[in-house]
Amino acid sequence: MTVASPTAEPSRPRRRAHGFWAEAWRRFRRRPLAMAGLCFIGLLVIVAIFAPAIAGTKPVICRYKGRLYAPCLGYFDRRLEPVVFAKDRFRGTYPANLAEKDPESWAIWPLVFQDPYRSVRKDEWPGRPANPYRDEGHPSRQNLFGTDQYGVDVFAKMVHGTTIALLVGFVSMGLAGTIGITVGAVAGYFGGWVDILASRLIEVVMCIPTLVLILALVAFVEKPTIWKTMAIIGLTGWTGIARLARAEFLRLRQSEFVMAARATGAGPGRIMLRHILPNALAPVLVPITFGIASAILIESSLSFLGFGPPPPSASWGSVLNDARSNLQMWWLVVFPGVAIFLTVLSYNLVGEGLQEATDPRLREARK
Amino acid sequence: MVSYLIRRLLLALVTLAAITWIVYGLARAMPGTPLTVAIGQTDPSRKLNPADIERMKRAYGLDKPWYVAYFTWLGNLARGDLGRSISRKQPVAALIGERIGPTLALSGTALAVTWAVSVPLGLYAAARSGRPDERAVGFGLYVLYSFPTFVAALFLQIIFAVWLRGTSWELPLFGMRSDSLGADAGWATRAADIARHAILPVICQSYVSLAWYSRFIHSTMQEVVRQDYIRTAKAKGAGPWRVLVHHAFRNTLIPLVTLLGLSLPALLGGSVIIEQIFTWPGMGRLFFESIRERDYPTIMGLTLMFSLLTLAGQLLADLLYAWVDPRVSVE
Repeated sequence: MTVASPTAEPSRPRRRAHGFWAEAWRRFRRRPLAMAGLCFIGLLVIVAIFAPAIAGTKPVICRYKGRLYAPCLGYFDRRLEPVVFAKDRFRGTYPANLAEKDPESWAIWPLVFQDPYRSVRKDEWPGRPANPYRDEGHPSRQNLFGTDQYGVDVFAKMVHGTTIALLVGFVSMGLAGTIGITVGAVAGYFGGWVDILASRLIEVVMCIPTLVLILALVAFVEKPTIWKTMAIIGLTGWTGIARLARAEFLRLRQSEFVMAARATGAGPGRIMLRHILPNALAPVLVPITFGIASAILIESSLSFLGFGPPPPSASWGSVLNDARSNLQMWWLVVFPGVAIFLTVLSYNLVGEGLQEATDPRLREARK
Repeated sequence: MVSYLIRRLLLALVTLAAITWIVYGLARAMPGTPLTVAIGQTDPSRKLNPADIERMKRAYGLDKPWYVAYFTWLGNLARGDLGRSISRKQPVAALIGERIGPTLALSGTALAVTWAVSVPLGLYAAARSGRPDERAVGFGLYVLYSFPTFVAALFLQIIFAVWLRGTSWELPLFGMRSDSLGADAGWATRAADIARHAILPVICQSYVSLAWYSRFIHSTMQEVVRQDYIRTAKAKGAGPWRVLVHHAFRNTLIPLVTLLGLSLPALLGGSVIIEQIFTWPGMGRLFFESIRERDYPTIMGLTLMFSLLTLAGQLLADLLYAWVDPRVSVE
């Protein structure tokens, strides 16, 4: 059985679904807390996209030897950093080298001149002292959130860690959602022994404690990277979604519109994707939103336990891990801890808003 | 009823076999073996020579492929033998027996705290539903529910073990017993010592479920108070508290009973993260350590116990559900 990809062009059932979603959005907007959560996530997206322009030691834009460059892109991927700076032996130190090797040059610097991967040295930015290290790195004007035991700026680490926090949620739950909906849809729609098999599979994965499965898988992956962690969280977190999707497909496959579609000769793949899925999406979206929250929690607790990706990838949980052995450095706990908490809270608020906005039972009760 | 039970038990057996098979395969596929990881990491000078490793591999059955070794493990299990821990040189059953007490003490207390606080809180929220004070409490619980456990643990450690150091409010940072306590200390002193060590872990383990249960009780109560029999009870002149507790709360017990069944694995399995942070010598920490040490027999013994409890909890929840609600039948 092949399942067609969901990229088919929108048509009639989609337009009706749009009416439903517009209505849901109208209800969602009326809930201030859910909207606040959504705004916070939006803020995180902005921070993640503009991270190199907010905190970094590489110019956002600079003019060097007659040409314009954007070295800050190197924070996204090392290959995006212009080769000319490596050739001219900048070694990652821009301010002094720019002035020395091309007096004509100018640069627009990030808002905060601090690096997420290394300590800033003395006079790297003319006239500024080196970052304090060990337990002397209290939050100050130079280091807004303090520095860790090696003198790396916590604010810069957290700004650059935002990308990971967001990606973990979206990527792992995207994967979990795909697996969950596929398994649930096939089980619910076909029923019979397919259903028995799929339900067993769901039960087996559910019964293995999540952390057990994840720890075993993390140990299994030899070189952990953030992408592998995301894949593992996704591969273990789909059971709840699958159960809900199965129930929805089981309910809807007997409805009249599915019978009508079958009468017009639509195949099972088409019925599942075009007719049932749009109607089953709303209840399934709620656990996915809550799943994003728990994925972020799982990733940060893995990094916290020391099972996360190795440095230099700076996730919020790894900052907390540094704090474990340096409890007197309270700023290593408070800032990333509050950031993780607010992110999880936002997703939970959005999930609850979504639930109340799309659940017809709750809607009728409200009337 | 009997046929239902038999069917459920047979299905559970199949599920268990599948789970242990998967976990065994995963455990054996992890890089390194108990011999290289546990011994080589702690002391490089004690690294075994290849001949010794081969000999020990044979002794522990590690020379066979995992799917063969799995059936050896299964055969031993059928005879009631969980095997011996490779890194700790102790039978796995004894190891679990040693760790189950501390975990039970921690999670049992946490469960008791959870219920003792969440039931009154849920009832209070239901009684004052929609008022400003209830909304504030409700939001507070929501915030609590979203607060990551390990962050809370670190906060509490900073407050009680670093900032309050030297005051009478100081609480121990980790462990279950103080080293300074002599062997001649009386049982009351020793119990008080353990209780002091348990305060922070118990708080961390109970606050999330506490918030969740309170919200759950509140929301099920909200559904119940809309029922006709509540209106009848009010109409016949029953006081508001009597209606709430006697008429409404009794009917919310049904979903609560299910929750009780589902909390069974957590009760005995402990929490890996909390036991790890507070170095509490329980099951969760044992599991964490056994994965690090690639101690296959211990990993398998614990996995078996976790999944057995999860399945038992589900079955128990279904049975209890049918028992408290005559409208539901297990068939």
